[in-house]
Amino acid sequence: MNEAVQPAPIAQEANTKLAMWVFLGGEVVFFTALILLLVLTRFVNTGYQEQFRGYLSIPIIAANTFVLVTSSYFVVRSLEAIREGDARSMRINMFAVLALGLLFLGGQAFEWTSLFRDGVDYSTTFGMPFFTVTGTHGLHVFIGCIWLVYLLLGHGKIPFTKENHLGVENFGLYWHFVDIVWIVLFTVIYLI
Amino acid sequence: MQRIQASRPNYLVVFGILAGFTLIETLISYVQQEAIRLPVLLGLSAVKAVLVLLYFMHLKMDSKVFSYLFIAGLVLAIPLILVMTIVMPIIARY
Repeated sequence: MNEAVQPAPIAQEANTKLAMWVFLGGEVVFFTALILLLVLTRFVNTGYQEQFRGYLSIPIIAANTFVLVTSSYFVVRSLEAIREGDARSMRINMFAVLALGLLFLGGQAFEWTSLFRDGVDYSTTFGMPFFTVTGTHGLHVFIGCIWLVYLLLGHGKIPFTKENHLGVENFGLYWHFVDIVWIVLFTVIYLI
Repeated sequence: MQRIQASRPNYLVVFGILAGFTLIETLISYVQQEAIRLPVLLGLSAVKAVLVLLYFMHLKMDSKVFSYLFIAGLVLAIPLILVMTIVMPIIARY
């Protein structure tokens, strides 16, 4: 009888991962709305190039994009490490992800500060959607960094193992999604 | 065990492609011809996003249910795109 009520680990794992994908599906709709706000603001207003894009530093943002893409690579490395039972390598790769995540946020803070100095703020036509979208994305990166700190420090009582590493996998899905959003934003805001 | 190892993609190669495409995108953004710039940049961006989904997020190897959930998000976004595309220009006039 007792055996019947025992949770089945594999089913539970599938459920939490499923929940993460449901969440990410919702995030797709959420970010689509934000990106649309940006795109349509450009369509219904003239002067994007003169009033806004001219103030953006493409090389710095390209470097920031490279930082986020690199962090995604380290996320997948940390997952691979724990899948092979190497907890130490997992932690080293996670520290690299955290450092790169914070570096990305630093780059974004630098960009925002430069824009404010040039008089581009939330009250301007193109500033409103820009700060809304990049701010929301930055908040996601920040949440990811907090999550990572939790995985590195707070999860110590139940260490990840070769068999139990769902927390790392779900975090990875979230982080990669945030990376995808930035890939789209990089093109839509800065390059086109 | 060998089967699992064989099915794992070379993440370094995927990362190299992503980094290379980012560099190419940045260089193409300085091209003046809109007819070339726009489709190439959108194409590269789409390829990068798909690579992350398939290999880093393991959709290529994982259950198809996860792929359907992600696609469902994209499908749900279509009416949103249509409504906002129609409504936003009307709002902008006032």
